[in-house]
Amino acid sequence: MSELLVKNACVIDPLRGINAETMDIAIRDGRIVEEVSGAAEVIDARGMLTMPGGVDSHTHICGTKVNFGRYMSPEDMRAGRTPRRGPMHATSGYSVPTTYGNSYRYSVMGYTTLLEGAMAPLEARHTHEEFIYTPLQDTMANTLFDGNWAIMEAIRDGDTKRVAAIIAWTLRAVKGFGVKLTNPGGTEAWQWGKNVSCIRDPVPYFEVTPAEIIRSIVEANELLHLPHSVHLHCNNLGTPGNYTCTLGSFGLIPDLNPKRQTLYATHVQYHAYGGSGWKDFCSKSEPIANFVNMRPQIVIDMGQVMFGRTTTMTADGPMEFNLYRLHHDKWSNHDVELETGSGIIPVVYRRKNLVNSIMWAIGLELALLTKSPWQCLLTTDNPNGAPFVKYPEIIALLMSKRYRDAEFATVHPDTGSRVPLPAIERELDWYEIAVMTRAGQAKALGIQEIGKGHLGPGAYADVAVYPIRIDDVDPSVDYQKVIEAFGQTEYTIKRGRVVARRGECVVDGSNATFWVKPRVSEAYDMGKDPDFIEKFDRYYTVRMRNYPVQEEYLNRNRCIETEAEI
Amino acid sequence: MKVTLVMKPATKSFIPIEAESIVPKNFLAGTDLSVWRGNRELRLDEVFSISVEGDADRVEDVEVVLSGDTSRLKRVGEYMDGGKITILGGIGMHCGNFMSDGTIEVHGNADGWLGREMAGGTIICRGDAADYCASGYRGGRKGMTGGTVEVFGRAGDFLAESIAAGTVIVHGDAGDMAGAEMHGGTLVVHGNCSRPAANMKSGSCYVFGTAQGMLPTFRKVGTIQHEGRTLIQFTGDIANRGKGNLFVKDYKYLD
Ligand SMILES: [Zn+2]
Repeated sequence: MSELLVKNACVIDPLRGINAETMDIAIRDGRIVEEVSGAAEVIDARGMLTMPGGVDSHTHICGTKVNFGRYMSPEDMRAGRTPRRGPMHATSGYSVPTTYGNSYRYSVMGYTTLLEGAMAPLEARHTHEEFIYTPLQDTMANTLFDGNWAIMEAIRDGDTKRVAAIIAWTLRAVKGFGVKLTNPGGTEAWQWGKNVSCIRDPVPYFEVTPAEIIRSIVEANELLHLPHSVHLHCNNLGTPGNYTCTLGSFGLIPDLNPKRQTLYATHVQYHAYGGSGWKDFCSKSEPIANFVNMRPQIVIDMGQVMFGRTTTMTADGPMEFNLYRLHHDKWSNHDVELETGSGIIPVVYRRKNLVNSIMWAIGLELALLTKSPWQCLLTTDNPNGAPFVKYPEIIALLMSKRYRDAEFATVHPDTGSRVPLPAIERELDWYEIAVMTRAGQAKALGIQEIGKGHLGPGAYADVAVYPIRIDDVDPSVDYQKVIEAFGQTEYTIKRGRVVARRGECVVDGSNATFWVKPRVSEAYDMGKDPDFIEKFDRYYTVRMRNYPVQEEYLNRNRCIETEAEI
Repeated sequence: MKVTLVMKPATKSFIPIEAESIVPKNFLAGTDLSVWRGNRELRLDEVFSISVEGDADRVEDVEVVLSGDTSRLKRVGEYMDGGKITILGGIGMHCGNFMSDGTIEVHGNADGWLGREMAGGTIICRGDAADYCASGYRGGRKGMTGGTVEVFGRAGDFLAESIAAGTVIVHGDAGDMAGAEMHGGTLVVHGNCSRPAANMKSGSCYVFGTAQGMLPTFRKVGTIQHEGRTLIQFTGDIANRGKGNLFVKDYKYLD
């Protein structure tokens, strides 16, 4: 039995409605408990800001696409090297670090749970292998279904239950957590050298539209009672005027689940663009945020862009090809048979560039104009908008109008006429930041019930203690102190152990992977479905029995079983 | 001030020594420097017999002379910003990495990456230079951004790869892919080389011998007179917007 007591903590725990109360946190054997014995090890938090461990509900840290980003950018690997130190392995990389680099840097910022935003089912083993070497965070993988042949056939046949059955079989096979749609239909069209421009364009051969894919998979997701909602990267990312497409996609979504949203729309900054071309490119954050404000069934994340060098990587192959034609730099394109694709290019976001400056403003506007912090979560779509090490700066920008104004003075001079940002006075408070960086993310992922994102008895003892006293610091003025505090915890506690202390990781760690096994009736077990088996064997280059990821690929295996309606 | 470093004979002379501390500026504060052999840190005087004549206050007045078997000595003159380094024999890889000013003179041959990503100053190599002389580095966009590299012998493959500014002159032949990804600066090869200036975006590449395996994506413009030679002029690689100029005395396409 191991016991730990964090004393005199200034706790913000939004899922339990706790806002800056001084209290003790008792921990036994990796879980939060009501109280511990006098023999417990004691940490005196001395009034420091203490929150549940950070949860990133959309990041790219593990898998084939991430790894390709590493090996196509040796210059990025040279950009962030740290030597071996204590239990810490040597790391390298800045925008796409090694797995240990990701894990240590997240841990130092207080993050204990990460969701890999896009795992191609066929390549799931690679993702799970890298999870094992991301030892200081528990992990989950969103699984890509945007161009799945069997699913598109079922949608064409109008059989939503079969869609659900295929999702159930696949999630179970690849140890996936949630359902990700990246440019639904577009990645399949890309295999024909085409794309879809928005939700009404039919996908070649299958003749289903993105709108049909989205609606059908949203219904199937709820039939399976998955913890997370469908996680959507809308069509038409990154093009001027795409906000109408985004609104059209959001408009498809009914409110089907009382516990959480029915749609999680990711990196919405990239989908909130006005204008008819790059010349009149402008922000459309207002109509997007207004729409979200009226629809509790939708949660978005920011996809904030920060200036500097980074790497873009997504399953959205055609979009990356367009970016390649803009930048004329190196480019990777990748096809995943029968399922999806991907593309990667390195980019530099520059203050002197008007388009980049507008993108920077849009992400902040979405967070400031969305009334409820539970509906707009803090992300950069790491590393697409910026490496996650920029989160502290984003927090400070959201908390300080003065900081925003100071930064605004350094961006392209025409930005002011294209964005509403300078007129927005709102400054987020500590509680709202806690929602956007852990509680809201846990709720949106549907993992608060298994003990993530809060500090109630029974929860996983994942705690972040930041070296800042919120009574002494006015974040709208002392934004530099906010950046420092969120950049490096005093203690990061993961499953009841101190894993990071003042910038140093102090243990090897041991990651757990959460995945979902929906229980379906015999009739909907695709492993026994003759048509599914026949097509699998005909079209895939792997045998069906070799496709599932064995449990040996998971370090600590946390299976979440759900009772499906099929 | 003249610092003479004579390499002591080593029993395991095949193990490279990382010697990025051998830069004229560092000797203004004495010779208490160290180098690495494998994972072992060694004092400079464990590897070299050191003698110092005179003294100096400015880096411009420091000359470092290296002798003995220095062919496994790596990163000499890295980030050098003034003064002079004279190497009487050959030198190991990465000599003059990132240098911004001063002069390095190599009397023997130089191993790979001589003057990698250099920004200024002068490198003279009296012997041959191996691959990636005056080039960029893995994944980087810009190679050399200033200064001059002159090689009196031959150069290996990927000479001046990704050069963005500055001048590279090779008096002998160069290898394959000379001036690949060139986007500025000047490259002159007095002898032959193969597939010059592949994917060039800007800059000028001169081959006074024969361009072997000439790439078909260069468009012939005509002939020009250049320093008493008649050269054939091509536009830059039209596979990449066709900017820049390639001049060759003679060329041969692949069969
Ligand atoms: Zn993403």
